[in-house]
Amino acid sequence: MNPTLVGVIGIVVLILVFFTRMPVAYVMTMVGYVGFSYLVSGAAGLKLLSRDFYEVYSSYGLTIIPMFVFMGQLAFNAGISRRLYDSAYHFVGSYRGGLATATVCACTAFGAVSGSSPATAATMATVGLPEMKRYKYAPELSSGSVASGGGLGMLMPPSVVLIVYGILTEQSIGALFVAGILPAIFITFLFAVAIFVYCWKYPLQGPAGDKFTWGEKFRSLSKIGETLVVFLLVMGGLFTGIFTPTEAGGVGSAAVLLVALLRKQLSWKGFVKSINETLRTSCMVLLLIAGATVFGHFLAISRIPFNVASWVAELNMPAFAIVLMIMLVYLIGGCFIDALALIMLTIPIFYPIILNLGYDPIWFGIIIVLVTQMGVITPPVGINVYVVAGIAKDIRLETIFKGVLPFLIALIIGTIFLIAVPQITLWLPRLMY
Amino acid sequence: MEAINRLIYKLVDWVKNLGGVALVGMMTITTLDVTTRYFGHPIFGAVELVSFMATILLACAMPMTHVENGHVGVDLVVRLLSKRSQALIDTFTGFLSLILFSLICWQCVLYGQSMQKTGEVSMSLEFPSYIFVYVVAVAFGVLGLAIIPQLTRNLRTTFGKK
Repeated sequence: MNPTLVGVIGIVVLILVFFTRMPVAYVMTMVGYVGFSYLVSGAAGLKLLSRDFYEVYSSYGLTIIPMFVFMGQLAFNAGISRRLYDSAYHFVGSYRGGLATATVCACTAFGAVSGSSPATAATMATVGLPEMKRYKYAPELSSGSVASGGGLGMLMPPSVVLIVYGILTEQSIGALFVAGILPAIFITFLFAVAIFVYCWKYPLQGPAGDKFTWGEKFRSLSKIGETLVVFLLVMGGLFTGIFTPTEAGGVGSAAVLLVALLRKQLSWKGFVKSINETLRTSCMVLLLIAGATVFGHFLAISRIPFNVASWVAELNMPAFAIVLMIMLVYLIGGCFIDALALIMLTIPIFYPIILNLGYDPIWFGIIIVLVTQMGVITPPVGINVYVVAGIAKDIRLETIFKGVLPFLIALIIGTIFLIAVPQITLWLPRLMY
Repeated sequence: MEAINRLIYKLVDWVKNLGGVALVGMMTITTLDVTTRYFGHPIFGAVELVSFMATILLACAMPMTHVENGHVGVDLVVRLLSKRSQALIDTFTGFLSLILFSLICWQCVLYGQSMQKTGEVSMSLEFPSYIFVYVVAVAFGVLGLAIIPQLTRNLRTTFGKK
């Protein structure tokens, strides 16, 4: 059989087996192994398994993932996300819909290191939803802001999705990190506008909260000072070249741990919980990478990436239309699969096309993160919405989907703008690299 | 059967703790290396040590992540089926996973043996790398074991009386 045909069959089988809810990483390994064995030989397939897994697990470049995840988990268990939320509330809580805005801002500020957007939505749902309920926010707005805000952490550095994209495409992780900052702030701003317009039209959705004096506002900032210091230490050290990305994660974790211990914010139980969560998230991410590596070797041998790239080149379509088609694949795919798995699966196929078309790889990385974030909140199957529905048992699924709509509109407008004006994304990385 | 399951979960827990120690070790060595390098005396072979620990961490986290359902899966369709059909599908995929991980475990043992024979060592510390391939093999073995309790539970739901 023609290798490309085998590759196509492999992809179809892969998608079918996905729907049995077998972990995505296992499916990629299995289909990749069977396909590779079929195209090369049974012995070569078996060898591929042990070599690929050991290589991924022992790669120094990938040690950055457990380090940054650990930093995020320590920060979360030391209550930093709660304090960020509190501080954001002091500043915007007195406006209509202010708590929803505070949720979105806290999501961005926390820069969610959890590795997966659904996990971030889950984190913010446990922190933000009870607060918003207390202030009589309608479930649409409160659950919608949590489900949508969860995705913002993927853009704000340090973002695990961007780390993985950087490793897969051999782009500078530092450059990707800085590239994410302005789009993240821009989207946060658009979300705030969406909340403002929504609450202006439906005032009962988000009633105004307590008013604070400027003194109280600034005092609340002092509680999050250490977050800023750790962020500056990690990012500063990374950009000035004092340490590598992995070292930045290690030093960041140690710094958060030190601050939390000095301020007596982290219990032994919290510390152990951070370790367990880190093990689980890192393993989830790394097993996905290992599975994608095995599957990628199968795809390479089937010559699909090469054939698709040359087929697209012969299409004679304007570059912009091709990018839009790729975006559509991410949008639809993002509805079903976690952003990280989707990116790992599709990068070997789409990345060469984007390079051929002359687009900037850093810009493309930011855009696909944005588009997959749209997917995770789009009806009927947005994964983040299901996560929030799982935590907030008293809120109906349809209510959350309704609540997500204003954010989805803001996200679409923002993404179109960022596609049309790549300078917003590329200005900071070009300035620094 | 219950006693065997308890033993398997104990093993999963024990392996997880080893992974946790490796994580704290990675953070400590990285931070010490950056600090001592600032004063002109970096830790020799720090990069290798961190890679070794990462291998232990990731391998040892696998069984626990599986047991706690920490992996990303797509359950949009399966969720709509009856409990019995769900268990049938899970039994089938469980068997496939068990075969897959047994294969990887066996291949890692062979890979480790070949590395041991050729005497492969790490670049700066000259530490024998095959040990870590064996760690990965053991972890895949425990992962395979960790699937068994779930598998028997699903089999019981599928074929047991209503």
